[in-house]
Amino acid sequence: MRLENLSAMQMDALREVGNIGAGHAATALSQMTGSPISLSNPTLELVEFSAVPMLVGGAERLVAAAYCRLLGDIGGGMLLMAPRESALALIDLLHNREVGTTVSFGHAEEMLLTHVSTILSSAYLAAIARMTDMNLLPAPPSFVLDMAGAILQVATLETGMRADMALLVRTSFSDERTTVEVMLFFLPDPDSLEVILGRLGVA
Amino acid sequence: MSSDFDDTLFPNLNHPEMIEVGVGALAIGQHPRYLMTPALGSCIGLCLWDAALKQGGMAHVMLPTTLDSMVPGTEHRFASFAVAEMVHLLHEAGSPRRRLVAKMAGGATMFRTEGTMAHIGERNAAEVKRQLDLLNIPLIAEDTGDRHARTLELRLDTGEMVVRSYLYGVHRL
Repeated sequence: MRLENLSAMQMDALREVGNIGAGHAATALSQMTGSPISLSNPTLELVEFSAVPMLVGGAERLVAAAYCRLLGDIGGGMLLMAPRESALALIDLLHNREVGTTVSFGHAEEMLLTHVSTILSSAYLAAIARMTDMNLLPAPPSFVLDMAGAILQVATLETGMRADMALLVRTSFSDERTTVEVMLFFLPDPDSLEVILGRLGVA
Repeated sequence: MSSDFDDTLFPNLNHPEMIEVGVGALAIGQHPRYLMTPALGSCIGLCLWDAALKQGGMAHVMLPTTLDSMVPGTEHRFASFAVAEMVHLLHEAGSPRRRLVAKMAGGATMFRTEGTMAHIGERNAAEVKRQLDLLNIPLIAEDTGDRHARTLELRLDTGEMVVRSYLYGVHRL
C-alpha cells in the first residue's frame, strides 16, 4: 500500500481515527497540567517527505522533535515536530503562563515535550488499536533539537525508505489566550498501513 | 580564502555559484562554483577534490548498501554505488583517481532509538571509508558521528570543507 494511492474514503477513515485520538489526548493533557487544554480537530494531509522541510521554513530550520518507534502489531514510527519558537510557546501554554516566558530548552523542557509526544502518540495509537483490534504501543521517545532536514531523514530511513510520503496530522493546542500548532507525522511502514486500512474496513 | 566566503552560520542559499546537492543525490563542479548539501543527519556528505583542476564532487549518502533498502530506489543514495560513480564522473571530467583526495562529514545519531536503523550513521561512515579504501583514495579530513546535524560546503578552489552546525558553529577542514 503506497500512501499516494490512498482513496478519499480511506483518508476519511484515518481522519476519524485522528479525531478520536485528539479527544483522548486533550483530556490527558488537561489532567496532566491541571488547566483546560483543547486540541483543535486535527487536519490530516498527505505530504511528500522532500516538501516537509519547506513546511517549517527550510532544511536548516531549528526544530524541536520527539520520535518514537511503533511496537506491537505494526512497524514504523511517529514524529512530533515544531519550530523552536512554537515548541517554547507550547511549554508556556502547558504551564499556563505568558508565552515568551520560556526562552530555552533545559532538561525540564525536553522532558515536558517528550511527555506531550508520548501522550499524543499513545492517544492516537489507542484510537487506532481500538478501532482495528490490534496491539499498538509507542516505544519510549527520544528528543532532539536540531535541523529539520536532518531529523526528517532519520524518520524516512526508519520506515525503510520505502515511503516517499508521510501522513501529517496538524494539531493546534489552545487555552483561552494562546494557540500553538505542532506537526505529528505518522510513519507506518507500507505493509502496516495496509493492515490498518484492512482492519478499518476500507482496504 | 576566497573573498566571497560567507562566515555566517548558514550559507547563502541564493549564491549564484552554489550547486546544491539534494538528499540522496550527487554532483560534481569546478571553481568558481562550489558544492553544498544542507542538514546531514545520519547521512554522510562525501567530498572528493582534485587540486590540479580545482574541481570536485559531493555525494549525500543515505545508506551503506542497497541491501539496506528493500525496494530499488535511486542508486545514488547508497555508499556502495555513489562513491564509485562520483569517481567515474570526475574521471570523465579530466580528474584521474590518483589526484583525488576525500573529506567527509555527517553520520550522526540524531535519535537514541533501537531497531533497524540504530547506528546507521556509523555504518554509513564505515562503508564510505571502505569504498574509498577499495579505490585507494586518501581520506584527509573527517567530522563524523556525535548527535548533531551538519550542513556541508566544499570550496573547489582550496578544497576546504566547511561544516556548519548549531552546536559547534562554523568548522573548517
